[in-house]
Amino acid sequence: MSRRLLIVEDDEDTRDFIAKGFAEEGYAIETAANGRDGLYHATDGGFDAIVLDRMLPELDGLALVKSLRAAGIKTPVLMLTAMSAVDERVKGLRAGADDYLVKPFSFQELHARIEALLRRPQESEETPTLRCRDLEMNLLTRKVTRNGREITLTPREFQILEFFLRRKNRVVSRTMLLEGVWDYHFDPNTNVVDVHISKLRKQLDEPGEAPLIETVRGAGYMMSDGTA
Amino acid sequence: MARLRFSLHNSRTRLVLLSMVLSALLTATVLALVYVTATRSINGETRSVVSAELTGLADEYERRGLIGLMTAIERRLPSASERDALYLLTDRFGNVLAGNLARWPEGVTPGSGWTELELRKTETNEMVPVSAASIRLRGGERLLVGRDALARQQFDRVLFHSVALALGAALALSILTGWLLTRLVFSRLRDIADTADSIMSGDLTQRMPQRGTGDEFDQVSATLNTMLDRIEDLVNNLRTTSNSIAHDLRSPLSRLRQRVEALGDSHRNDSEREADTARATAEIDHILRVLAQLTEISRAEAGLGREQFEQVDLRQLVGDAVELYEPVAADLGIRLEIEGSASPIPGHRPLLSQALSNLLENALRYAPEGSAITITLRDDGPFAELGVRDQGPGVPEEDLPRLALPFVTLDPARSERGAGLGLALVAAIARMHHGSFLARNRNPGLETTLRLARQPA
Repeated sequence: MSRRLLIVEDDEDTRDFIAKGFAEEGYAIETAANGRDGLYHATDGGFDAIVLDRMLPELDGLALVKSLRAAGIKTPVLMLTAMSAVDERVKGLRAGADDYLVKPFSFQELHARIEALLRRPQESEETPTLRCRDLEMNLLTRKVTRNGREITLTPREFQILEFFLRRKNRVVSRTMLLEGVWDYHFDPNTNVVDVHISKLRKQLDEPGEAPLIETVRGAGYMMSDGTA
Repeated sequence: MARLRFSLHNSRTRLVLLSMVLSALLTATVLALVYVTATRSINGETRSVVSAELTGLADEYERRGLIGLMTAIERRLPSASERDALYLLTDRFGNVLAGNLARWPEGVTPGSGWTELELRKTETNEMVPVSAASIRLRGGERLLVGRDALARQQFDRVLFHSVALALGAALALSILTGWLLTRLVFSRLRDIADTADSIMSGDLTQRMPQRGTGDEFDQVSATLNTMLDRIEDLVNNLRTTSNSIAHDLRSPLSRLRQRVEALGDSHRNDSEREADTARATAEIDHILRVLAQLTEISRAEAGLGREQFEQVDLRQLVGDAVELYEPVAADLGIRLEIEGSASPIPGHRPLLSQALSNLLENALRYAPEGSAITITLRDDGPFAELGVRDQGPGVPEEDLPRLALPFVTLDPARSERGAGLGLALVAAIARMHHGSFLARNRNPGLETTLRLARQPA
C-alpha cells in the first residue's frame, strides 16, 4: 500500500526534485503547477499528505489551505515558504497548515517532516506508555526506565525524549526539535540542540549499552527500535 | 530648485500685492467714512441755518410787512458774501424786490423744499452752485434763502485730494513693509533651499543654517537637521552594507566556485567528492543565511510584524533562553545567571527570542571559562531593559558605536558562520519595539542592553 502525496509547486525544478525524491521512497505522486489545480486535486481527496508552496499563481498557498480546512478536508499539509523571515514562517501554521519548511531545504528534512505528518493520527491514540527497545516512558507517572533502571530527567529532557518516542524510527531534524520542543522559529548559530541531545544521551545510555538516539548525518537524529 | 525671483507666480510677489490691496482697502474705507460723515454734518448744519433764517424772515414779514422784510434782507446783505449766504425776494410776478441774486431761478416752485441750483450772483456776476429753500409769502411774494455750495465743493475737493494722497502713501508704505517682511522670510527660505540644493547634488554633510535666534525658522532648521543626521546615518549604513554584501558574498562564492570545479575533476574519488559536496553546501548555506539575516533586519527596520505584537513576559522569555543555552554554556564552563525582573511589554515574541539568543551567543563567544554571564532585567521609566553582561575582554571604546552596524566584526578570526549581522539584527529589533540597543564596557566585560518600550507607540 503506497502512500499518496500531492505536490503543489509552480517551480518545475523544485517540483521534479521533490517528486523524484518521494517516488524513490515509494510514494505515489500527483503534481499540480498552480493553486487552482492544486485545490481541485486536493478536494478530490485520497491523498495522505500535501506539499504546498506558499506562493503560487492563481491561488496562493495560504488561501488554498484555508479553503481546504473550510471544506472540512483534514489532509495533513506541509507548506514550503521562500520567506525566511521569522514572522512570515508561522503564518502558514495559523492558516491551517500542519507544518512548514523554509526554502531552500534538503530532501531529507522534507522527507522527515512528511513522514512525521503521516504518522500523526496514530499519536492521538493516547497510550500511557511509550517504548523503544528497553526504554519505557510512562506519561502518567512521568517515570522513565531503561532496562529496569530508573532515569531521572529534567522536564525539558523528558519533553525531548517524548518527542523522539512519538516519532520512533523516523528522522527528527534539529529545526524540528527547536520548533517542537522550544517553540523557537529561527536558527541559532550554535549547536544548542546537539548539546541538549548529548546531555540526554548521557542520561539514557550507561557504559556498554547501545546508544538509543542515533545521529543521522546531514539530517538530524533518530530513535529506532531496529524494526524499521 | 530654481532661485526665487520676481514673478506673479511666486509667493513673495503675491504676498506683497495682497498686503497692498488690503491696506488700500482699509485706508479707502476709513476715508470714505470720514467723507460721508463730514458731508452729512455740514449739510445738516447748512440746512438748519437756512431754515432758521427763512423762519426769521417770514416772522419779520408777518410783523412789519413787506417793507420791513425788504429792510431786514438789505440789512443782512453786506455780511452775506462772507457767510456765503444768498437771499432773494420777488413780487408774485418774479420781479426782484431785494437780495443778492439776479432773478428767480427757473423751475423752482416756492415752498417746494430743498433744491440744488446753479445761480448767477449779482455781486460777482458768476455762476455759483447753491443749496436753497423757498417759501411763498401771504401777499404772493416769493422768498428764497440759500447757501453758496462752492465752499462745500471746495471742501470736497480738498478731502478727495487728501484721500488720494493718503491712499498713495498707504500703498507705498504697504509695499515697503511687505517687501521688508517677505525679504526676511524669503532670505531664510532661500538659505534652506540653497542648502537643500547642495545636499541634492550629493553633499550629505551640509546642514540647514541656524541664526541662533530660536525663532520658528531655527526650529524648522533644527528639525530638518535631525532628519538629515538620520538620513546621513542610514545612507552611510546602506553604502557600507551594500559594499559589505558585495565583499562578503564574494569570498564564499569564490570558494563555492572552487568546490564546483573540483567536483568536475574526473581524477577525484568518491570520498573526496563527498567532502567537496559537503563544503559547497556549507558555503551556499552561509550565503543563504546572510541573505535571510539581511531580509530579517530590513523587515524589522520597516516595522513589519508589529501587527503580531502580544504581551511578552520578559522573565519567561529569558528563562526559556537560559534553559536552551545552559548546556552549551556548561560545556564551556560558563554559568548563566538571571537578575531582577521587568514588566511585560508588547512585543514580537519570536523576534525578541532571536535577539536575546544573538546576545547570548555573542557573550558565550567571549566569556572566559569559569566566569558567569549575567542577564539583568529592570524597568527604567517608559522602558523595560534587558542586559546581557559577560566577564570577557570587552570591546575597544572607539569600536563601541560601530558594534551594531551590519557586517562589522571586531573578531579578526571570525567564525565561518558569523557575518557580523547578529547585533545589527538585535538593534533593528530594538527599534522595531520603539527602543534602542546599547553596548558599553563594564570592566571587566561587555554589557549589551536592549531597551524596549513598555507602552505601544
